[in-house]
Amino acid sequence: MKVKILLFWWHAVAAWTWDAQDETCGICRMAFDGCCPDCKLPGDDCPLIWGACNHAFHLHCILKWVNSQTSQAHCPMCRREWQFKG
Amino acid sequence: MSHPNKRSSSTTTTSSSSSSLTSPPPMKKAKSHSQPDTKNGLHHHTHSDNDDDGRRAQPDNLSRKKAQPPQPGKKQFVIKPFKAKPAVPKNLEEETWEILKSAICAIFLKKPVSCVLEDLYQAVYNLCVHKMGGSLYQRIEKECERHIAAALQSLVGQSPDLVVFLTLVERCWQDLCAQILMIRDIALYLDRTYVKQTPNVRSLWDMGLQLFRKHLSLSSEVEHKIVTGLLRMIEKERLGEAVARTLLNHLSKMFIALGIYSESFEKPFLECSSEFYGTEGVKYMQQSDVPEYLKHVEKRLHEEHERCLLYLDASTRKPLVATAEKQLLERHISAILDKGFTMLMDGNRIEDLQRMYTLFLRVNALESLRQALSSYIRKTGQGMIMDEEKDKDMVSSLLEFKASLDTIWEESFFKNEAFCITIKDAFEYLINLRQNRPAELIAKFLDEKLRAGNKGTSEEELEGTLDKVLVLFRFIQGKDVFEAFYKKDLAKRLLLGKSASIDAEKSMISKLKTECGSQFTNKLEGMFKDIELSKEINESFRQSSQARTKLPSGIELSVHVLTSGYWPTYAPMDVRLPHELNVYQDIFKEFYLSKYSGRRLMWQNSLGHCVLKAEFPKGRKELAVSLFQTVVLMLFNDAEKLSFQDIKDSTSIEDKELRRTLQSLACGKVRVLQKFPKGRDVEDDDSFTFNDTFAAPLYRIKVNAIQMKETVEENTSTTERVFQDRQYQIDAAIVRIMKTRKLLSHTILITELFQQLRFPIKPADLKKRIESLIDREYLERDKNNPQVYNYLA
Repeated sequence: MKVKILLFWWHAVAAWTWDAQDETCGICRMAFDGCCPDCKLPGDDCPLIWGACNHAFHLHCILKWVNSQTSQAHCPMCRREWQFKG
Repeated sequence: MSHPNKRSSSTTTTSSSSSSLTSPPPMKKAKSHSQPDTKNGLHHHTHSDNDDDGRRAQPDNLSRKKAQPPQPGKKQFVIKPFKAKPAVPKNLEEETWEILKSAICAIFLKKPVSCVLEDLYQAVYNLCVHKMGGSLYQRIEKECERHIAAALQSLVGQSPDLVVFLTLVERCWQDLCAQILMIRDIALYLDRTYVKQTPNVRSLWDMGLQLFRKHLSLSSEVEHKIVTGLLRMIEKERLGEAVARTLLNHLSKMFIALGIYSESFEKPFLECSSEFYGTEGVKYMQQSDVPEYLKHVEKRLHEEHERCLLYLDASTRKPLVATAEKQLLERHISAILDKGFTMLMDGNRIEDLQRMYTLFLRVNALESLRQALSSYIRKTGQGMIMDEEKDKDMVSSLLEFKASLDTIWEESFFKNEAFCITIKDAFEYLINLRQNRPAELIAKFLDEKLRAGNKGTSEEELEGTLDKVLVLFRFIQGKDVFEAFYKKDLAKRLLLGKSASIDAEKSMISKLKTECGSQFTNKLEGMFKDIELSKEINESFRQSSQARTKLPSGIELSVHVLTSGYWPTYAPMDVRLPHELNVYQDIFKEFYLSKYSGRRLMWQNSLGHCVLKAEFPKGRKELAVSLFQTVVLMLFNDAEKLSFQDIKDSTSIEDKELRRTLQSLACGKVRVLQKFPKGRDVEDDDSFTFNDTFAAPLYRIKVNAIQMKETVEENTSTTERVFQDRQYQIDAAIVRIMKTRKLLSHTILITELFQQLRFPIKPADLKKRIESLIDREYLERDKNNPQVYNYLA
């Protein structure tokens, strides 16, 4: 009789990272794998956000940036009007 | 002394006013209260209180004396004045003295006194009243001196046997005391008037003592013999013989009464004691071991203390005990420590150590003891830390060592604060004696304890162990090394489901948090969050349309999704999965990315583990294996026999990893595969088949212990990562400091860095980082002073 091996329970492990074009945030110059200067922990606690122009920043960084602009806010990278990617 | 007198004085006053026409009343009272004194033979009376009363009573008594007795009759009673002033009989003094003298003689010779004592008192009274007190006093003194001198002279040349001699002295002293008291009682009125009113005249009792003292010092042979006798007797007692303590007591009281105790007795006694214990200390130190010696010292000190209570004066206690302490202890402190401390500590001799502590405390030698403790811990601990062969047991031996030290500290050293600090300091020194390795071993020890399969330890015991380990953790200077290894092991426990108890895990994390702050545990807590979150993701995956429509049935998949920043970094490991497994992974990935946009998902196949069902000819088994093992085993579903190279080609598992995997399947305790030829190591031209004869008593079998094991590469990479991290931290700290200061000298920068950085580091390493930052143009050396750096914005 031939031995038959059957897999029936699989505990897999995967790790996620941000899928941004750059390595670092254009505003704070910190790595996307890390967090913005105000945060202590990377990951869900300090998420990334993409603009309509497809540039990504730490959410906390771009919010600060947008709020600091008197009139219309622009993307710090491409100067296009900043809009969150829908 | 003053109390009984006061009381008696009040009774005297009442009796004198109420009754008795005859002779002045205080006599009986005085006599009755002075009787007990004779027994002790040491009262030096001063009759100040009584005297006062005597004087007040005087006029009253006199008037009664001269009044006529009342006579009944018809004749009118007329008081006529004396025709001539009554004169004192000329020979009154001489006659009265003759009577008194013979009485004094009789008293000293212990013969019955021919007169009534009351008459004698009256006689003294009469002389005093007629102002002959002064000469009476001199007469009495002269008479007493004659007798006392004779009494002391009689001791000269007496028995050479010291005890017999001392007994004679005792009797002589007690007799004289009784005799002087008796005379004092007779001449009490003298004591209370003449003595009181004349300055620089001793009371009769004191006069007696003074005469005794004078004649004792005149016959130095007697005095010397008494002192020698006493010393000899005490020495005999010290050597274990029973001696007449009452005799010793009486004689020492005699010295005290005579006021020559400290000069004539105490001084030579202390010298003699010092010499005795000096010799004994040296002798015993050589003869006996330290615990015995300490016991002996304790006994000796107690004996000396008792001696003072029993027959010496209380004032002798301090100097005497101090002498013994000095000779028995102080002189031998370092010898005692050198000879016995290690032995006592090694043997955990709580009681003996306590004795040592208590004794050393008496002579202010605790500092020496503390130092001995410090060097003992350092020396003993060094063996545990530095011996690489004992690495496996390092933490448990340290814990044991610490526990025994703590017990000794509590029970033997009475929780002395300074000793506690010493123990801490010594441990800190020990643990940091070797860089990094102890921190790593502590983390591993915790891993062992927190890992599943630690049956027999209760939750409480586990908690206790964690607390104890934490104490060691506290001493570590390079806590980052601990963190790295702890994190690596924690990750494995969580991902492979090997944790003994999530409660215990969390309790440990909160302990670390209290110890080092949330900065330290943030990421560790993040790991727990990921595990929780993964459960939810898996749940919704199972419910999702992707899973229901596209997933082939048969395999139950659950995925741990890790946030990269929280977990240890894992080197990606190549593996070619069977097609159906790839399908599973792809479907999950699609589901995940649809749920969380903007993310990338990477499979960590080296951490995957599986449960297999295997049909062996001898029965069906469930195998718990790693994903790599699964991939290898599944190859054999389609092939009979595979060579090492075949397996390598089909799985693309890295060479070393594959060899390890095959070894675990074919060369371990559980042999699912058979290797040809047989042997412990996997060689290039080995080949493998299923083990048809596989049999095991249990249904579920674990083969994936290999995953929990730390490989050498893992260990080095963990350590390297810590060092890498440290470099970043140094760089960051330098930039941070320079950014605020703009311009700083090298020395100040280094000092600041040492304050900020929380791991052990050498100045040379810091220099290298500064150089590197200069190269990268974060800093520059000042053009005028190369010892100063400028920050380049």
